[in-house]
Amino acid sequence: MFDYSTKIYKQALIVLDSSFGALELPPALIPGSYFGSGYSKVALYEPSLMDSMNTTMDMESQITRTIFSGAPVLWNSDLSQGYQELGEALGEITELDEDDDWRIDPPVYNAARYVASELMRMSFPAPRIFNHGPKSIVFNWSSGTNNLYLTISGDRMSALISSPERIQRRIDYAANQLIDSPLALFYIEAAYSGKPVERWVTGAISDLQELSA
Amino acid sequence: MKADQIGEQDSLFRHVVFPLAFGGRAFQWDKTMKLFDEPDGSILASLAWERYVPTTAHIHAYGCRLASRMNADQQKKDKYREKDRRIYSGAYQLRADHIRALATTNGLEEVLSAEVIHHVEAGEIAHTDLRITLKRDSEFGLEGTKTAILACLWNACCGPLVHKCDCDQEILQHPSHSLPDAPSGPYRDMRPYLERLWYLLRFHVCSWLWRKKL
Repeated sequence: MFDYSTKIYKQALIVLDSSFGALELPPALIPGSYFGSGYSKVALYEPSLMDSMNTTMDMESQITRTIFSGAPVLWNSDLSQGYQELGEALGEITELDEDDDWRIDPPVYNAARYVASELMRMSFPAPRIFNHGPKSIVFNWSSGTNNLYLTISGDRMSALISSPERIQRRIDYAANQLIDSPLALFYIEAAYSGKPVERWVTGAISDLQELSA
Repeated sequence: MKADQIGEQDSLFRHVVFPLAFGGRAFQWDKTMKLFDEPDGSILASLAWERYVPTTAHIHAYGCRLASRMNADQQKKDKYREKDRRIYSGAYQLRADHIRALATTNGLEEVLSAEVIHHVEAGEIAHTDLRITLKRDSEFGLEGTKTAILACLWNACCGPLVHKCDCDQEILQHPSHSLPDAPSGPYRDMRPYLERLWYLLRFHVCSWLWRKKL
């Protein structure tokens, strides 16, 4: 029997802005769908946010509720801790001696911090990191035998999705394209979660508008 | 074929050293293979050629010497810390033809050639350069290309061959236990017995000649 006095079970709930058009929403765009279906997202909100959330929830026409079942559950506190550790690791490798092979340049550090904050905002799990030298840092996630790599340098970012058999997708962005729009991250997520995306461009992108057209 | 030319079926080994190839206690292939930028725009990495590490014992002896040299270098620079002590943990195998196939891999169109070249370094006669030449007009950034190359090389790996050096026998949580199976399966020495004997004999003769030359 459940001990209701000590355990709280929260229903998985995602609140989306009406502008997304819930019924047409591709599964990959649903926050938390990173590992495909069966993923629950449970958020812990600041009390100051609750009032505005309640107001929003009252406006039923602007609410889409999507209920997921199954595990794993990603707590926001886990997410925060993962990104805190990531931030510390980035700081450490920035401060390594200049002759250290694993040191990264300050512009790479700044770009990596920005990308990390965007990823956290989109509820991506914190990545593993490694680097090739001072000019880049690589964020890496594994899902089964597939891997997603984001190689971040001072002025550009490359996404790579690979399986043991082959390279599945590669895409390059200029850093300002990433900053201008989170759409780039959406496409990365979509490709990685294996969901179909109507327009996918493999190769270097000179104009991100191509993707949003 | 020239005497020092590496045959298509020849094995090359990448040695894994803790903590360089690890994130915490977890092995990371991406950290194992360091890719260096060369002034001519090519990418360089180091491997060990089977011809001069003809048996598993020789492969591991190379790894133990490598870790030992790294520790000595750290001590020389006054940067040695016991918790960061370099520990050789094992090796993964790659075949020369799989490395050369990088130049024809779908999704890696910017690779012009991938070659393995015997190049004695730091007194190691088995040391071999992995040199990757890129096309000049690539639409992809160099750093992203390195990531893609690493991913492809890992997928071509066999192993691991795990090992504890004599100087590391007392380590209870030895990092060799963390080495995962490579995507292409376990390492198998497919050389017939007589061929292995020939490799061993040739190794001893070449080693003797090389040392005599120094």
